[in-house]
Amino acid sequence: MKLNRAIGLIVCLVYPYLIFAQSNVDFIRSTGKIYSVVAVVCLLFLFLAVYLYRLDRKISDLEKKIKNES
Amino acid sequence: MIKGLWWKMLGVILFLYVCIAGFVVPLKPGIYNASPTNIKAGQTLNLSIEGYNSHYKSAEELTAFLKFDSIQILKATDIKVNSEQSIEATFNIPEYINTKKKIAEATLIVDNATDGYSIMPAAVFVNSISKTPSQVDWNTDFVNDLHQVDAFAFPFRNILYETIRNTFFHVAIWMSMMILFIGALYSSIQYLRTRDRRHDIHSYSLTSTGIVYGLFGLASGAIWAKYTWGTFWTSDIKLNMAAIAMLLYAAYWILRSSIEDLDNKYKLSAIYNIFAFVALIPLIFVIPRLTDSLHPGNGGNPALGGEDLDNTLRMVFYPAIIGLTLLGVWISDLVSRYLKLENIIQEKENIL
Repeated sequence: MKLNRAIGLIVCLVYPYLIFAQSNVDFIRSTGKIYSVVAVVCLLFLFLAVYLYRLDRKISDLEKKIKNES
Repeated sequence: MIKGLWWKMLGVILFLYVCIAGFVVPLKPGIYNASPTNIKAGQTLNLSIEGYNSHYKSAEELTAFLKFDSIQILKATDIKVNSEQSIEATFNIPEYINTKKKIAEATLIVDNATDGYSIMPAAVFVNSISKTPSQVDWNTDFVNDLHQVDAFAFPFRNILYETIRNTFFHVAIWMSMMILFIGALYSSIQYLRTRDRRHDIHSYSLTSTGIVYGLFGLASGAIWAKYTWGTFWTSDIKLNMAAIAMLLYAAYWILRSSIEDLDNKYKLSAIYNIFAFVALIPLIFVIPRLTDSLHPGNGGNPALGGEDLDNTLRMVFYPAIIGLTLLGVWISDLVSRYLKLENIIQEKENIL
């Protein structure tokens, strides 16, 4: 479970870089700078994903606590 | 907080609509590039014009103008169409242009029946203007001949181009953050009035989500700035004031985690939350308008009006604010439900 989540986080973090690593600045500036908007939307998803991941981890801890008590 | 599932689904649907409509609706036709930009007076200018979303080849009544001021307007003598996006216009620049400056600045206007007219400010600079006034044949009545085409499209703005779509994410997230912080303010006041732990939990979860939204606002603004203003961070007043506001709210997190005594912790964080909100309003909305800023809305102008936010943008922008707010409230709801459960467990432990 823990490993799965770690892999998920790494994929979330690295995926945008995989897209932009192959490109140069001209790629983002091509076709009316549309890819800067794509970057912003990716970033929005990334922020929400990281925030939800942290919440997920907290809830897991809580679940473990309840399991240990019962 | 809010009961039921409908508002969560509404948030998802609105955000999906924003992602689809925000990307699918095209930009209005415009002028992407024109070269050369410098010409001596009295010469023939062969201006190659690059259009964006334009239909130069298939359009009828294609004309081009150079506008020096409201009276001095020069019509292209000849236009060679290369493709839908590319034309070459020939202008006979006169020896004399009535201007106080050494260099005359001309706005380029390209007009046709399909796209309507599109404008590029400061497209051509004319130097070495003759000092002696002479008669020039200007096309003063051209304004009546321009085509006005109403299309369902976002406005084409130079430098911005497609990044105008960032309005739905960058600007909307700041608005959503404000709504979340207003909710947190309300909960803080409620906590101080009733000393009910639930209000503190609501206030904390809304503030946390608001801070994440604000951090995204700063980061997305940096990306937008990189591709329009040239750098990730400038000394623009609104940027720095927003960063200070986010630091103020980050201190809320630190304050909360640094107080051991629970009653004091809730009370102080509620008071600090009210203070942070009161500081946020002048930092983001007042100070940037008193001085010059790169953001729209400097010098006291309304930021969300006029040409910056037309009706087509509004049709996506307002749903974006509502959708992002609902998603933010949803996440805050999850946080507060977690905190309530944690509270119950802790109380149980205390009894044991």
